[in-house]
Amino acid sequence: MTDATANQNPAHGALTTTDARTRRRNAAEARFRLYGQIAIAIGIAALILLLTSVLSNGLSSFRQTFLFLEVTLDEKTLDKSGVRDVEVMKKVTTIGYGKLIEKSLQSAIEEHGITVEGLTDKDVSDMISKEAAALVRNKVLANPDLVGQTVPVKVLANGRIDGYLKGRVTMESAERDSNVSPNQLLLADAMRAEGLLVKSFNWGFITGADASELRPEAAGLGIAIIGSAYMMIVVLFLALPIGVAASIYLEEFAPKNRFTDLIEVNIANLAAVPSIVFGILGLAIFINVAGLPQSAPIVGGLVLTLMTLPTIIISTRAALKAVPPSIRDAALGVGASKMQSIMHHVLPLAMPGILTGTIIGLAQALGETAPLLLIGMVAFVRDFPAAPPEGFFDPAAALPVQVYNWTQRADPAFVERASGAIIVLLIFLLAMNAIAIFLRRKFERRW
Amino acid sequence: MNDMRLTEKSVEANDTKISARGVQVYYGDTHAIKDVDVDIADQTVTAFIGPSGCGKSTFLRCLNRMNDTIDVCRVEGNIKLDGDDIYDKRVDPVQLRAKVGMVFQKPNPFPKSIYDNVAYGPRIHGLTRSKAELDEVVEKSLRRAALWNEVKDRLQAPGTGLSGGQQQRLCIARAVATSPEVLLMDEPCSALDPIATAQVEELIDELRSRFAVIIVTHSMQQAARVSQRTAFFHLGNLVEFGETGQIFTNPSDPRTESYITGRIG
Ligand SMILES: Nc1ncnc2c1ncn2[C@@H]1O[C@H](COP(=O)(O)OP(=O)(O)OP(=O)(O)O)[C@@H](O)[C@H]1O
Ligand SMILES: [Mg+2]
Repeated sequence: MTDATANQNPAHGALTTTDARTRRRNAAEARFRLYGQIAIAIGIAALILLLTSVLSNGLSSFRQTFLFLEVTLDEKTLDKSGVRDVEVMKKVTTIGYGKLIEKSLQSAIEEHGITVEGLTDKDVSDMISKEAAALVRNKVLANPDLVGQTVPVKVLANGRIDGYLKGRVTMESAERDSNVSPNQLLLADAMRAEGLLVKSFNWGFITGADASELRPEAAGLGIAIIGSAYMMIVVLFLALPIGVAASIYLEEFAPKNRFTDLIEVNIANLAAVPSIVFGILGLAIFINVAGLPQSAPIVGGLVLTLMTLPTIIISTRAALKAVPPSIRDAALGVGASKMQSIMHHVLPLAMPGILTGTIIGLAQALGETAPLLLIGMVAFVRDFPAAPPEGFFDPAAALPVQVYNWTQRADPAFVERASGAIIVLLIFLLAMNAIAIFLRRKFERRW
Repeated sequence: MNDMRLTEKSVEANDTKISARGVQVYYGDTHAIKDVDVDIADQTVTAFIGPSGCGKSTFLRCLNRMNDTIDVCRVEGNIKLDGDDIYDKRVDPVQLRAKVGMVFQKPNPFPKSIYDNVAYGPRIHGLTRSKAELDEVVEKSLRRAALWNEVKDRLQAPGTGLSGGQQQRLCIARAVATSPEVLLMDEPCSALDPIATAQVEELIDELRSRFAVIIVTHSMQQAARVSQRTAFFHLGNLVEFGETGQIFTNPSDPRTESYITGRIG
């Protein structure tokens, strides 16, 4: 028992009482946890704020106000010759079609017995989007046999009317607005009650081309989505092989000396270069020297490739470094060449990391705006680019640039469109991340 | 030290498989191997013993040029395999390593199936012509590594899912599958239980009929049990090299004696 008393160190108290030092340690730990929780709470709050603001502003852009009309495609206006020759029929401009649509709207109003005090003809015709005539014209030119018939059509309503249904335009604002009159809003209410004016899902927003300042209701993301997709294809097919090859060389083959150290430092620096610098570089090299066309996805893709390469190289090298050296030894030990040990063992093990890095790089590139502005992707493009590979050289827009573009326009209807475009962009990013996670799982499951 | 059965061992005078002369190894400024001369006989088990850090692994790795993969490592001197200088410029280390197989200190199976682990060597060297032949090689190798009975029902399971000792035997099977002429084993039993160790020792004894085997070990008993010749390394020097029986019963150098009786190490 003498031993037991000798072992009693005065610094150690009884087990059940906590001494001051332990209390301080516990308090520090509790504080640290609190900081962490606060940081995460702030992050989540910011995310929720961002998502609610984008969603509340932008979700409405996926629904659009349409007019349901029975348009009589009068042969006298559309095809005087009566031979249904498309080339001849092309001479009739949208103005001719516009008149027909107006007439059908007028008669629909009469038929349904809608009366609004002091409604002028112009008020009625302005209910219809300027885009409607083009839509009907395209429909007729695609199918000339429709001429002479009365066909049901679904045409876009004017942006202000759409705004009224979405709560953006009110009676008060209409009184001050030269583009819309309170009478039109009353008419809209009446037509809505009769089922002539309906809000429904707007495919045109996703597939359509951009539209001019005056017809926000017709503006769509189609060309921007194609442009962004083309650029991502270019980036993927250039940056992934180049980046992975460069990383493998640097990590596995290159001698370790001053020169490779310098390259390493420069790659790290390149990753931090502001993206607009890459835009200037792209303008100078790809457009001015190489003579590639402006606004083309190929140029955008090349610029974004330059921007993404450092990200891919850095993450690929990290993934290669993380493969245990014993695996390389094992492969070399049974007589595999260096290339075989890399291709058969190291690269498959590094694959999840490489893919994650690549997709993060691609996601960055997808959201990049500044360099694209410099190479002319901000231009207004009405025509869809062709299918690849020619399409890579046709002018196109890009999703983030389209967002930027729309926020610059005066009509508040474009604010809604911009938020809608952000939602589409976010969906693309989510999809890419989902693919990254899926691929990572798939490659990991093999081991 | 009562299990040494030294006297029963017959040491045949076999041909020299590897002969090393004046080998120096430097890691940067560290002189890890100092002027080592050694002759490894064919169809013989040679044990390398010595305290930790004395350069056993380093010297072993010289014999299949695995040191080439370490940037700071520099090897001088002359090592001949069947009379050919293995550090000759014309020698492709890849071909050399197909002849001189290696089992590492730490089990390092590929993160692939058990089958693919063993089949990898024969595949890359094109040793088999058909799937059936490959299956046969895999089975034979696994049997010789005393692993077949444990894994025959799950050849497609990942090799990394085996226990440490099973993994090491898998690595032995993998090395044996390429039918090398020399097998280098760096502490192959350090992760094994006594039963598996006994199996591996049996295997080593069996392998001796065809290969020259070099085994690094920290176990005196093991060296005494499996080897015919023993080399004692100390601080990078080859202190003593000779027949195992002689080294263990009648060492000529006092350092050897201190080490095997447990005074240094
Ligand atoms: N990659 C390396 N870089 C630098 N020095 C090394 C390297 N590998 C080994 N050394 C040094 O070389 C010497 C010999 O090491 P080695 O691994 O050959 O010892 P060992 O006899 O195998 O020891 P152990 O029994 O612990 O495995 C040691 O001093 C070690 O520090
Ligand atoms: Mg060692």
